[in-house]
Amino acid sequence: MLSVDGLDVHAGPVRLVRDVSFGIGPGERVGLIGESGSGKSLTALSLMGLLPEGVTASGRATLDGDDLVGVPERRLKRLRGREVSMVFQEPMTALNPLMRVGAQVAEVMTLHGRPRAEARERAVHLLGRVRLPRPEQIARAYPHQLSGGQRQRVMLAIALANEPRLLICDEPTTALDVTVQKQMLELIAEVAPALLFITHDLAVVASVCERVVVMYGGRVVESGPIREVFTNPRHRYTEGLLAASRLTPRGTRLPTIKGSVPAAGGFPDGCVFRNRCPHATEACEQEPALTGDGHAFACWHPAG
Amino acid sequence: MTGRMNASLLTGGALVGVVVLAALASFVWTPHDPTLVDAARKLHEPGGGYLLGADKFGRDTFSQLMVGARTTLYVGVVAVGIAALLGTPLGVIAGMTPRGWLSELIMRVNDLVFAFPALLLAVMLGAVYGADTLTAMIAIGVSTVPAFARVARAATLQVMVTDYVLAARAAGRGPGAIATRHVLPNIGSVLIVQASVSFAIAILAEAALSFLGFGTRPPTPSWGRMLQESQELLFSTPRLALWPGLAIAVAVLGFNLLGDGLRDFLDPKLRRIRAER
Amino acid sequence: MILYLLKRLAVLAASIAAAGVAVFAFMALLPGDPAEVALGVNATPEAVAALRTQFGTDRPAAAQFLDWFGGLAGGDFGVSYVTSSPVGPQIGDRLGVTAVLVLGGMAVALLIAVPLGTFAAVHHRNPLGAAISAASQAGIAVPAFLAGILLVYVFAVKAQALPSGGYVPLADDPAEWLRGLVLPWLSLGLVQGAVLTRYVRSAVLDVMREDYLRTARAKGRGALGALWRHGLRNASVPVVTVLGLQLATLLVGAVVVERVFVIPGLGDLLLNGVAARDLLLVQGVVMVLVAAVLLINFVVDVTYHLLDPRLR
Repeated sequence: MLSVDGLDVHAGPVRLVRDVSFGIGPGERVGLIGESGSGKSLTALSLMGLLPEGVTASGRATLDGDDLVGVPERRLKRLRGREVSMVFQEPMTALNPLMRVGAQVAEVMTLHGRPRAEARERAVHLLGRVRLPRPEQIARAYPHQLSGGQRQRVMLAIALANEPRLLICDEPTTALDVTVQKQMLELIAEVAPALLFITHDLAVVASVCERVVVMYGGRVVESGPIREVFTNPRHRYTEGLLAASRLTPRGTRLPTIKGSVPAAGGFPDGCVFRNRCPHATEACEQEPALTGDGHAFACWHPAG
Repeated sequence: MTGRMNASLLTGGALVGVVVLAALASFVWTPHDPTLVDAARKLHEPGGGYLLGADKFGRDTFSQLMVGARTTLYVGVVAVGIAALLGTPLGVIAGMTPRGWLSELIMRVNDLVFAFPALLLAVMLGAVYGADTLTAMIAIGVSTVPAFARVARAATLQVMVTDYVLAARAAGRGPGAIATRHVLPNIGSVLIVQASVSFAIAILAEAALSFLGFGTRPPTPSWGRMLQESQELLFSTPRLALWPGLAIAVAVLGFNLLGDGLRDFLDPKLRRIRAER
Repeated sequence: MILYLLKRLAVLAASIAAAGVAVFAFMALLPGDPAEVALGVNATPEAVAALRTQFGTDRPAAAQFLDWFGGLAGGDFGVSYVTSSPVGPQIGDRLGVTAVLVLGGMAVALLIAVPLGTFAAVHHRNPLGAAISAASQAGIAVPAFLAGILLVYVFAVKAQALPSGGYVPLADDPAEWLRGLVLPWLSLGLVQGAVLTRYVRSAVLDVMREDYLRTARAKGRGALGALWRHGLRNASVPVVTVLGLQLATLLVGAVVVERVFVIPGLGDLLLNGVAARDLLLVQGVVMVLVAAVLLINFVVDVTYHLLDPRLR
């Protein structure tokens, strides 16, 4: 359904995302994981056509045959909020503070041709669907009267309003309290049509997604079914990431990946991870290709 | 003071520099006596020792501009000085005791003074005591106090919640020590920016007052009065309006740019506080 | 909201009263007795005392103040010691002229600043946007009366298209009324427009970086559509504050511009009053202008609360 093929994102001469390819089938829930600076958010924004000023995407991405990259804004506008929607990380600032919540939900429907009265009515229905108590009342509230978790539910209601084919969530629970996080994740898993879920939190991916794409340094380093990747990681970066996140018995040292993520444009040639990888050799100066069917990885010295 | 030189700072500094240089030079030298009335030189065309020509009394425009710069800076320095000396302590006190009755009183009086623009104060002072440079300076200075107090208060409020002030308070330092050791040094850059912006406004106010006859008295040259005198000759000799007008614009632009540039150049911690007009 | 409005009204009333005390106290400090001044040096003490009683200046200052201040609400500003005519009607005649001048100037400023400031913000990365910023910086440096003189030179002296001054009442000749006001409006409006352009630009720039604009685009709006629907109202919140300050500035600017264009407004009346040492007149006009500034601040505060639900 969604197919991304050779996606590049540039900021001037700096290549922030390189040759990213993956796909999502109807109803499939895919996690996109990586540390900050891995290019995961830029990948998502380029699918929405919402890259920041001065940042451009090239390559190919299609949603059921509709091109998402390299097409004029005029055509993207019609897809955004209707065929593909997005929920952002920061619920506190994502809603217009001067506009009632119900109107903000209704707006995404009137914008794509639904009559105003019908949109208003459906907005209340949607607020109930994302499990907000007393939706009629919430619809009349202003954003500052709601909690962070409630606002994120409103964002989800906006995203779902036009029954999109694909929902993109960019760290939707990172800014929320732990107790609220879990409910939110369950809700997203339940209501999402097809899902691209971006996070740095492996536990979250494991609880929501069926498949995972691991990014590092603007590239896909490993991808595959979640169970397989998490139990049998092949790329050394994935291995390090899992080791660092695993709960360790008391007294043992918490394993970490040495060094830190370089700044944009500061990644080495060849394998992007080789300057931090304990297994790196001369061979890693050549760029490894992403190989494998189902479970794919790009590493010269794979684990396992 | 870890900033980068920027275009605003350089341009503003250069323009202000020109005005200051002209004012300083006028103490030791002007091409002609700026107050010398000479019927023979009446409306002398530019040239022949009169670089920018002469006015209807035969006074040399260029010399008048030089001495006028002195008047402008003099009024500006005194007015901004009054505003800073009164406004800063008031703002710091209000900022250090944000919930006290004193703070409330200061800010209420501040709001009230704010309703009296420099021009009205100057007209009232002028009506009672007769208008001159002094009443103009006092009027401009007093009317600028609220802007200083507000900015000083906003900056103080920010400093008061920093860790080093909390540490100093925990260590039992008194309000006086905190004000002089921590608050004033840290709000200094904000006040300097405010002073520059206020200076620009003081120049505008002085020009307007002199234009209306509520500022510097003749024969002391003043840009505002030069403009006022030029008005009746606008049809025949527009250059008489051009030069003082340009001088005012250059000086105001200079101080505004300097303020903008300083804001970017100086300590960025308190940069969000905007100078008040 | 009602509570807030009442509180704000109380503050307004208290401020106006305090301003009244300040103005009265200041003018009462005046050395010299209006009765003596009116009668000259050769007057007999009896005549002076009689006139003092007639003026009411022999009573305690507090009583005089209450008398004066109490009369203001009903438009009674006292009777001039100099011209023996009541001050109130003079102020009333002139108030309308100045109000038209100030509101017209504000309209010009808004018509310039809102489109230009928004344009400069949207195009802040390209030369045209930067040029607008630079032009507004230069515009701020031009005082209103200088703008007036320049405009007179261009449109009255050179082009001879508009009158260089004077005022024709609207009732006499609407066309001439309008022609006479064009240059004064522009003098006030161009300069304030330059100041306002900078504020609009920075307010719009701030709003453009807000997450909710990205949300609007994610809903399917274009960049400009999102700014129009969600950005401008948010940007107007800080701009309204500046607008209030500017109206106060315009009121003062009007005093000067009236002098440039020989317009019989409050400023003209004020300056004439000072020249004639007509203190009651000066006192009255100053009071009206200060009250106007306080009233504008009040309206701004209330507008602010209406615009932003977070403050309600």
